[in-house]
Amino acid sequence: MSSDEEAASERADSYVLGLLDASDSAKLEAEMETNSALRAAVAKSRDRFLELDLIGSEQPVSPGLWSRIDTSLGKADVASSGDQPRLEPGNDNRLGRWQKTAYAAIAASLVFATALTYTLVGTSRPQVIAILMDEKGVPLVLVEDFGNTSARITPLADFSAPADRSMQVWTLPNKDIGPTSLGLLDGWRTVTLDSRSLPTPHEEQLYEITLEQPGGSPTGRPTGPILVKGFGKVPR
Amino acid sequence: MSDSQQVLAAALTACAQGDKAGLRRIFDMEARRLVTVAQRILRRHDYAEEIVQDAFVQIWNKASQYTPERGSARGWIYAIVRNRALNALRDVKRWELMDTDTLERFQDASQDVFSVDLLASLEQESSLRRCLSQLDEQKRKSILMAYISGYTHGEIAGRLRVPLGTAKAWVRRGLASLRECMA
Repeated sequence: MSSDEEAASERADSYVLGLLDASDSAKLEAEMETNSALRAAVAKSRDRFLELDLIGSEQPVSPGLWSRIDTSLGKADVASSGDQPRLEPGNDNRLGRWQKTAYAAIAASLVFATALTYTLVGTSRPQVIAILMDEKGVPLVLVEDFGNTSARITPLADFSAPADRSMQVWTLPNKDIGPTSLGLLDGWRTVTLDSRSLPTPHEEQLYEITLEQPGGSPTGRPTGPILVKGFGKVPR
Repeated sequence: MSDSQQVLAAALTACAQGDKAGLRRIFDMEARRLVTVAQRILRRHDYAEEIVQDAFVQIWNKASQYTPERGSARGWIYAIVRNRALNALRDVKRWELMDTDTLERFQDASQDVFSVDLLASLEQESSLRRCLSQLDEQKRKSILMAYISGYTHGEIAGRLRVPLGTAKAWVRRGLASLRECMA
């Protein structure tokens, strides 16, 4: 086996065992679409370990599970289902796999360009900026957190949320405070949310938007699927 | 086994053609086992069912992408559930929705998975069984903890009370030996 094949097999095994972090997994999944050797290595690895899934006693399933699945399929047919938010593509091209990598680069340069704008234009300067991306790595939202006053949320691409869900913005100031709501988005447009009650935001602070039941999460913690997430950068 | 693989492959083809009976067939054959797999990772039955519910929607939407080149039909279906469960686990840990004590307790409860003689549950003629049994106990345990319960390198190290680098090396070398043994 060549060293390339060996390296592909090693990555494939780590992926199949769940030992890669979320971003490395996503990277590998994207690469798999164009790299047939990697795809073959993943296929082999999955089938090598599959037997482990088939041993031991089985759990029963709730009697309603099939009808819940059936109902979700119906929703997915009509528009975007609750759990599978669909990005409205800006053009007819299907999202190419290579583009995911490109998007990450775009996001990075957006942070830089945004920071440059504050310097040049002298507008009020956010303490951190975060680009929130969906699970495919597409940047959808810009967050500018002005510290102990407000945070501005700016959509970067079109998106339609399911009509029966609320979009809720969250941040994780630190582990003691835990995930904290910045508020609900009442539409897909630029909005300013109140962040007065939160500590000063810091580098690498997590921001995300989840789809919650109408009126927001009932628990005060994120409960719904994550639409986008990203980490704060201090503009330099 | 190979018969059921053919049935599953045919069911995926049916899904790709918009035939819901194909999805129902996969559900009838695999749902209980898939919930079991998700629950081993997430430790909660309600989460596991949610994951499986979402995964079936994804199977339905992506069935046309399945080709034998992507491995066995069952392997492909299970990978969708496993990936969703692992992603959900990463999210739960990231937000620390479960406090550490609770998480520890869940993981302790799932420890019994590793203490029963897992190898004995594998088919007698299974090459996975033969090759796993040739590994040192620590390497075997590390690999099983990652695959079956979604443990990270850090959690494996903590659980086996060794430095992170040691746990990583056990996993890496164990996986390399398995690949060689099963080639």
